Amino acid sequence: MVKKAVVLAAGEGNRLRPFTENMPKVMLPVGNKPIIEYLIKSISDCGIREIVLVVGYKKETIMEYFGDGKDWNVEIKYVFQDKQIGTGHALLQAEEKVKEKEFLVLPGDNIIDNESLRLLIESKAPSLIVEKSDSPSKYGVVDIDAEVVKRILEKPSLEERAIVSTGMYKLKKEIFDILKDLVKNGRNSLTDAINEIAKKERIGVVKGKGKWKDAVYPWDLLTMNADVLRNLSSNISGKIERNVVIKGPVQIGEDTIIHPNCYIRGPVVIGKGCEIGPNVCILPSTSIGDDATIHPFTEIRNSIVMKDVSIGSNSLIENSVIGEGCRISSHFSTLAGKSAIEIENGFHRVDNIGGFIGGGCVIDSMVTLESGTIVGKGCRISSLKILRGRLDSGSRVV
Amino acid sequence: MCGIIGYVGFRNARDVLLEGLKRLEYRGYDSAGIGVITSEGLKVFKDKGEIDLLKESIPKFESDIGIGHTRWATHGRVCKENAHPHISCDSKFAIVHNGIIENFQDLKEELEKKGHRFSSDTDTEVIVHLIEENYKGDLKRAVMKSVKRLKGSYAILVISEYEKDKIIGARKDSPLVIGVGDNENFLASDIPAFLKFTNRVKYLLDEELCVITRDGVSIFDLSGKEISREERRIEWDIKEAEKSGYTHYMLKEIFEQPHSLAETLRGRISEIEPFVEIGVEDVGSIERITIVACGTSYYAGLAGKYIIERLAEIPVNVELSSEYRYYGNKNGTVIAVTQSGETADTLAALREAKRAGCRTVAIVNVVGSSATRLADDVILMRSGPEIGVAATKTFTSQLLVLFLLAVKIGIKKGVLDAEKARRYLAEIKRVPELVREVLEKNDEIRSIAEWIKDFSSIFFIGRGIGYPIALEGALKMKEISYIHAEGFAAGELKHGPFALLTKNTPVVAVMINDESYEKILSNIAEIKSRGSPVVAITEKGDSRVREIADTVIEYPETLPMISSIPIAVILQLLAYHTAELRGCPIDKPRNLAKSVTVE
Repeated sequence: MVKKAVVLAAGEGNRLRPFTENMPKVMLPVGNKPIIEYLIKSISDCGIREIVLVVGYKKETIMEYFGDGKDWNVEIKYVFQDKQIGTGHALLQAEEKVKEKEFLVLPGDNIIDNESLRLLIESKAPSLIVEKSDSPSKYGVVDIDAEVVKRILEKPSLEERAIVSTGMYKLKKEIFDILKDLVKNGRNSLTDAINEIAKKERIGVVKGKGKWKDAVYPWDLLTMNADVLRNLSSNISGKIERNVVIKGPVQIGEDTIIHPNCYIRGPVVIGKGCEIGPNVCILPSTSIGDDATIHPFTEIRNSIVMKDVSIGSNSLIENSVIGEGCRISSHFSTLAGKSAIEIENGFHRVDNIGGFIGGGCVIDSMVTLESGTIVGKGCRISSLKILRGRLDSGSRVV
Repeated sequence: MCGIIGYVGFRNARDVLLEGLKRLEYRGYDSAGIGVITSEGLKVFKDKGEIDLLKESIPKFESDIGIGHTRWATHGRVCKENAHPHISCDSKFAIVHNGIIENFQDLKEELEKKGHRFSSDTDTEVIVHLIEENYKGDLKRAVMKSVKRLKGSYAILVISEYEKDKIIGARKDSPLVIGVGDNENFLASDIPAFLKFTNRVKYLLDEELCVITRDGVSIFDLSGKEISREERRIEWDIKEAEKSGYTHYMLKEIFEQPHSLAETLRGRISEIEPFVEIGVEDVGSIERITIVACGTSYYAGLAGKYIIERLAEIPVNVELSSEYRYYGNKNGTVIAVTQSGETADTLAALREAKRAGCRTVAIVNVVGSSATRLADDVILMRSGPEIGVAATKTFTSQLLVLFLLAVKIGIKKGVLDAEKARRYLAEIKRVPELVREVLEKNDEIRSIAEWIKDFSSIFFIGRGIGYPIALEGALKMKEISYIHAEGFAAGELKHGPFALLTKNTPVVAVMINDESYEKILSNIAEIKSRGSPVVAITEKGDSRVREIADTVIEYPETLPMISSIPIAVILQLLAYHTAELRGCPIDKPRNLAKSVTVE
């Protein structure tokens, strides 16, 4: 039985900027929990108690949240990757804390179902979970022959459905020697090391159950959010005032106040210490983080509103992601629609998408975001503005 | 926060116990002691002061069973007699205890009537006499019978010459963990105490009792029914077990602030209504306030003066507890600010205020501490445990609580209209986010620390609320980096301190974006013309100070007084990195204890 999992959580996830300017990708909230928390829960559910977390970029946010892991019934040790130069190099940092012959290596920014993870645990090392994907160009495509991995090809320009690597491995201790050789020669990717193993040994294929989730671009967060909210069970704490209508699976945290005449249709999750309403409408699939304030007559649907956000009255937030600590005044709107969004010099066509606002922005009254707008972190927007395209972090619009 | 450890096994108990006590040092202590059973009977060695000194005074001897304790005085002063272990009249039983026994006075009188003689002022001693009284040939049963009579919190370890092979442990509301070894077993307040010897643990729960011998561990409930408990394996190294990845508690606690501040606020304010709910009512009748506190809490109190006078328009007087108790004018409402709720001087000040008939309010972090029992009203800071000796997250929570109180009084008194109150509360809700933004400047602040670490004197100046924040910045700097640091009101420089300025005395200027801004800007110009280097801490986008200061650290835009919280965090990081670069023992500065429970 494998006892230990090494979870790689050092990277930034720069295609998810501006949200990753506040926290590493693994800590981005979906369904009000960091992405990595779902993975840690799965690991714990599958009976693995020891986790080595490789952290680097904004590591404090992770350490502060998980501490020694006892709230998740696991024991977490931290190792540091100071410069994020590759997944192989990241894994190598964990060598000292891994004395076991066999162990799991899991990317901290992916969500996997317990069943697939159990199959990996029970498989013979070395092995790898693979999944089918319609957008293989984001991942490594796996060349399989008779249930054995021949080779992994990183991010090929393929458009059709293909079998891709989830980056979830069960490996043997020998991987560290291979990594040392490769890293010495400036080859820092874990895929390179796996391809080296494939030359000599059979790497088993574990077929995932199709529930593997990854977020690469900001709009993927909304899909992931809707996915995790699908399994939501109702749990209502806090203070619910008169004439509030709550339908479907809804979670409301402690010390939250829902003022009269709010309409909430689940799946919706609302954190602790929030203040909402009167007359606010929250529709599926929405996550509202801790200590958020939603002023009267505002509608929010299919969106992520992170913690400490305040949204003014008479606003509409639709298919959008609002980063931590934003203060948005009244009459704010996101216009959802078709858009071509530019990220890393490439345009991505996205349907029915609203806007994205990085953490700590202050937005005055009557601002509208056109479909697909990305506002950087810490921007200040004066009233009566219509924004489109991409706004750099720290910008001022006056 | 006392620490306890017990050992039975094949090693030399003296050495294991002293090693364990060293590992519990972080909990803070003023005295320590061990009790062991040797071939010549029960022996106790204890004294006030450092564990290393105690170690030297204890002779080497053969023993394989014993208990140890670091004391952090609550009941009774710091002296050899009050240190643990405590022994029974016949010297056959010894006990160590962490917690507070609330009904000890009643029990003591009862036992004295039965002829027991007490040799200390502690609440602990009654337990060992109670066990002696209840002992009828079965130690486990005697302990069980005794703890049922205790009110309050306890984690205790008991050994007896009559039953030389075992240690009995019991707990309620104080921590106790069992360490399971091979041919040896441990009991301690915290895992690090025995982690060097074993990483297998069993957790003892409230109102349970355990018996450990060399080759066995058994757990019982208070009716005597045996309970089976799963063993857990701990695999952190000793440092990580306590700090989850951080190099120091202080840094961990600085980075915890967005979280601890959100906890301080949670469920207490409505931005929409607006209102503040902090468990203190009838604030409309408050005419004047005196804040009493020591150390960092005193500076929070000074900041509170600016906050309450501005937002609630009532006069506030701030006094050091140690002075107030003897000399202060005991009128109006008295607010005691203390992290631990056990600071001896502040408790004394609170008692004096009560005696004079004042209404008393305590702003406290530790639930159930003495201050919470003394004061008429209590506002909890909810910062979570703070282990670093230098206060960080509790300071910012204290400021936040004072803001809440000021807004509440302001609303009740009609000084703050709904719109103004809403504006303040909306901004107060933003505080965790403001602090998060400041924490991102960690690397930038470290590079400034790199530069100031070699100076032998640093001055901190500020105006308005920037003045108490400058004082606190200087305190943080001197207490952990050992650099001589002084805080001054910027307007006072000309009246004396100017004489100290040279090119080797950097000045940290705290700039608040209010009516004092222009004044402090010209103060900085005056300082620069004397050749002293200046680090200016100012609001984002302030280009004017950039032209004259050597270095600028920006904090995010917010309301003038609320900026005190992000600025405090900047100064904490500056002190931390300076101390760290100088190689100082940050979590345990020389001569200092976390909470000063002695007067």
